[in-house]
Amino acid sequence: MKPAAFDYHAPGTVEEAVALLAELGDDAKVLAGGQSLIPMLALRLTAFDHLVDVCRIPELQGVQQRDGGVRIGAAVRHAQVGTSPEVAAAAPLLTLATPLVGHFQIRNRGTLGGAIAHADPAAEYPAAALALDATMDIASPTGRRTLTAQEFFTDLWTTAMEPDEMLVGVTFPAWGGRSGFAVEEFARRHGDYAIAGAEVAVELDETDRVRRCAIGLVALGPTPERPREAEAELVGRPVSEIDPAEVGRLAMAGLTAVTSDGNGSADYRRRVGAAMVARAWTRAVADASTEGAA
Amino acid sequence: MTAAATGDGRVEAGGATRYAGTRIGRVEDPRLLTGRGTYVDDIRLPGMLHAVFVRSPVARGRILGIDASAALALPGVRHVFTAADLNPDVREQWHTSVGPKSPETPRPPLADTDVRFVGDPVALVLADDRYLAEDAAELVEVDYEQLPAVVDYTRAAQAQELVHEAHGSNVVGQLAGRPAATLADVFAGAAHVVTDTIHQQAHTAVPMEGRGMVVDYSASTGELTIHAATQAPHEIRLFCSRLLGLPEHRIRVLMRDTGGGFGQKVMVQRDEMALMLVARRAGAPVKWVEDRRENLLAAGMSRHEHADVSMAFDPDGLILAASIDFVSDCGAYPTPWPVGTSAAVGMLFPGPYRVPAASFTATTVYTNTAGRVAYRGPWQFETLAREVLLDNAAREMGMDPAELRRRNLLRTDELPFANPNGMTYDRITPLETFEQALEMLDYDAFRAEQARAREAGRYLGVGMSTYVEPSTPGYGSYATEAATIRIEPSGKVNVYIAGGSTGNSIETTVVQLTADVLGVAIEDVATIQGDTAVTGFGAGTAGSRSGSMTAGAVRDTATILRERMIAIAAHKLEAAPEDIELVRSRASVRGVPGASVTVAELAATAYFDPYSLPPGVPAGLEASARYTAETRSVWVNAAHVCTCEVDPVTGGVTLLRYIVSEDCGPMINPSVVEGQIAGGTVQGIGGALLEHLAYDEDGNPTATTFVDYLLPTATDVPVIEYGHIETMSGGPGGYKGVGEGGAIGAPPAVVNAVADALAPFGARITRLPLTPESLAALVPPEALR
Ligand SMILES: Cc1cc2nc3c(=O)[nH]c(=O)nc-3n(C[C@H](O)[C@H](O)[C@H](O)COP(=O)(O)OP(=O)(O)OC[C@H]3O[C@@H](n4cnc5c(N)ncnc54)[C@H](O)[C@@H]3O)c2cc1C
Repeated sequence: MKPAAFDYHAPGTVEEAVALLAELGDDAKVLAGGQSLIPMLALRLTAFDHLVDVCRIPELQGVQQRDGGVRIGAAVRHAQVGTSPEVAAAAPLLTLATPLVGHFQIRNRGTLGGAIAHADPAAEYPAAALALDATMDIASPTGRRTLTAQEFFTDLWTTAMEPDEMLVGVTFPAWGGRSGFAVEEFARRHGDYAIAGAEVAVELDETDRVRRCAIGLVALGPTPERPREAEAELVGRPVSEIDPAEVGRLAMAGLTAVTSDGNGSADYRRRVGAAMVARAWTRAVADASTEGAA
Repeated sequence: MTAAATGDGRVEAGGATRYAGTRIGRVEDPRLLTGRGTYVDDIRLPGMLHAVFVRSPVARGRILGIDASAALALPGVRHVFTAADLNPDVREQWHTSVGPKSPETPRPPLADTDVRFVGDPVALVLADDRYLAEDAAELVEVDYEQLPAVVDYTRAAQAQELVHEAHGSNVVGQLAGRPAATLADVFAGAAHVVTDTIHQQAHTAVPMEGRGMVVDYSASTGELTIHAATQAPHEIRLFCSRLLGLPEHRIRVLMRDTGGGFGQKVMVQRDEMALMLVARRAGAPVKWVEDRRENLLAAGMSRHEHADVSMAFDPDGLILAASIDFVSDCGAYPTPWPVGTSAAVGMLFPGPYRVPAASFTATTVYTNTAGRVAYRGPWQFETLAREVLLDNAAREMGMDPAELRRRNLLRTDELPFANPNGMTYDRITPLETFEQALEMLDYDAFRAEQARAREAGRYLGVGMSTYVEPSTPGYGSYATEAATIRIEPSGKVNVYIAGGSTGNSIETTVVQLTADVLGVAIEDVATIQGDTAVTGFGAGTAGSRSGSMTAGAVRDTATILRERMIAIAAHKLEAAPEDIELVRSRASVRGVPGASVTVAELAATAYFDPYSLPPGVPAGLEASARYTAETRSVWVNAAHVCTCEVDPVTGGVTLLRYIVSEDCGPMINPSVVEGQIAGGTVQGIGGALLEHLAYDEDGNPTATTFVDYLLPTATDVPVIEYGHIETMSGGPGGYKGVGEGGAIGAPPAVVNAVADALAPFGARITRLPLTPESLAALVPPEALR
């Protein structure tokens, strides 16, 4: 379990990093916290001649309030995401999701950008990014562009980024008013990737109707999923009349590509997924209800 | 050895201090808890090469050719050895405890013509570092003709393909007790008969430190030094001397810390033989450290088995007969011969119950998977099958499972009791431990809580199990254990025993026992273990024998020195030997204040002033003795009680309380006893809920990292609560073995608790592990809400 030899690069700027990626082509790979990449190298499931460590680039650091939301540098560690007051204020789903990402040792090294670029459908942050309509700041040798989460996650472990592109930061718009948040997931053990999970944000109006809601689904398809039809059906309804179990069923209804693997068949994942949505919905609504009318 | 045991011991009437029985701080702790243990990977010798195995990627195949030229061309790569290079050097190949005549599976150190499981060692690469060796291993080209593999052991006996062609069959062996037909009338006439087929999945020891070895041969002296991760340093030496034809006294085996063994490191396996065989050819010391992937691929498999089990009961729930037809998978290269252990499953199936008649068959089959190796309580399936069956019987009869057990458990006034398979139990307390565990839980209160929870739509359950286990085998190479004790000229004491501790704390317990017999302060005693050059032969850690056997060795050896010290002190103090007492490294005359002499002074006399010794007392204070076990085994028993909550939607299990009441005799150190119980229990919980060394239908292992092989972690295990009943064994100190029991009792307690929780759904659980999905499947969606 030792990786094949590679050259290590630690560029100091985004421009240097993407230039290196362009120059080295397929032989190079971005290295962030290494919590997903290094095990694959050590098991020799993959090999690269060059690793470009992006964790020392200043532009990838830090958490800033921006346009009523929060911008998180791609190299910000999970541990920092989980404890940041700015994140807790603007995007509480991330704060709630963080303790479920692996174990503290992993959270001390793993980065938000790495988790999102890795695009594991069972990971917590990609689903949160999708649910919260986060935007991705991406750099390439020819310039910068921004993608929505919807555009970004394209397939299993696959994103819309080109090999010579890198993720610089992710911006999460804030939810105001009477909003509530909850994350529920079921895993074999604490810290394992979920068998199925749900990340729910809900905002209530003054009459306790659903003003808006967002549901991020974990491990229920090849990418993080978002049941937009279910969300649309819930908006405008008095929250007291919504049966959480119905939310669970609605959320599962539109899923077409739930996977089966050693941890669970597709049918079982749907059963667990529906329950996680229902439980997260219940808690998110309770959380929103405690906020005084806006 | 620098660390000392810490603690004050217990002051007894008369002022003597007794360390046995107290929670003395472990000798091992300071170095282990500060990360300063010495494992095989910590051994660094000048010029040392690093070994990596090339392993078969196919489950069954023929080796058509091996081309190592590209690997050898890599700078820093020193050798690539194949079977053709190494296997011809084998002289003899047998394990001491099994003997040369056992019908063993032929074990080529490296695969010669055929590969028989994914992970089968095919070639051995030596390079300047581990990275290079792994690079080179990838470049060794092996041409395989892939053949259909025997993977499903339940069909192996009928399969066309043979794992070992020369054996002529995939059935390794079969043993049986009384024929089931002779019990047909009992079953036919019984008020209740309960029958199940119970399956256990493959899982195994997964010690935190994999296997490993550094071999260091000196051509100039003809001496071979081996540093090993092992439970049995002397066995490595003996085995190696036979394998290589090197005289035993030219080989020195050293073990310092070993990061767990649990049975996997009792016996030399093929990979380790290959290391021994390269020692003389490498021209340098060679290190092999098994990594996690290799450990899960090739260090062995355990527990893969099933049985058809039945019990007959009278109208009151008294057991009339028990029968088990047991089939176990032993993979391609079992170590050692697996048929004997599988017969033990049959013989122990009646357990600590009043079972008047029993029958069994035990069949062992080969498959193209990793070979079966011992794992903590190797015959544990008897307890799993019996206890799960008993709970199913209780449910069928509408009886409380505790009451069913209570009616059938052996009482002490019935002992000794010969079970129908000829196992004679004695000095055990099945009913007492069972009642103690239920009392610790407050069983009736839990049942009431369970009923309230069910009203509220929550599913709680309680499971229990009891077992009786033969520890401390008293036959063959296991029958004796030696100690050497030297009270050095300064009065400090060193105890030398064979060792083989893989976490079982014998450094601590040996120091406690020695201090007690000698009457010296515990901080004056140190121990040296795991070095064959300075310790007498001992079979190592196996069969829950270390504590109970070394207790005999220490007692017999220390008694010689104690008597000698008393004789010298009596002579010096002009008192009668009967009046001398030894307390905290000082000999004094009872009732005569001030008349005393220190052990250091006695030692100085013994070594430096031999002419003033009393007549007949030899110079020096050194002694060796070898203890011989008085019985074939020492019986131990325990009861486990576990409570849980099951989420009927996800099938997730949360263990709530876990209680073990055990009788291992008087405890040398309760903390050590409880540590052993906890470790075994956690492994048993893992086996019931999580761990699965799975293969796909082509024989590809699917759990080769800890992402897929799920071990219980701190968040999966509740605080374990301990109850103790102390019944003397017939052996030294009355001690019994306690190393394995936790792993035996835990799986059925967990299974029964989960089945009890899901009983309202009519659930019956007969297959491990209890994955959440398999449990959710017992609760149909329409039963929810
Ligand atoms: C035992 C264990 C348990 C885990 N459990 C969980 C869990 O429960 N939930 C969960 O979500 N995750 C889990 N993880 C994964 C962990 O969160 C990783 O840290 C994360 O997935 C990847 O982040 P990283 O910074 O370590 O990225 P790396 O491993 O360094 O990189 C991952 C991938 O992303 C690419 N990449 C990284 N940063 C960038 C960037 N800025 N631009 C472009 N590409 C980039 C890399 O090239 C690579 O392909 C677990 C990991 C381990 C080892």
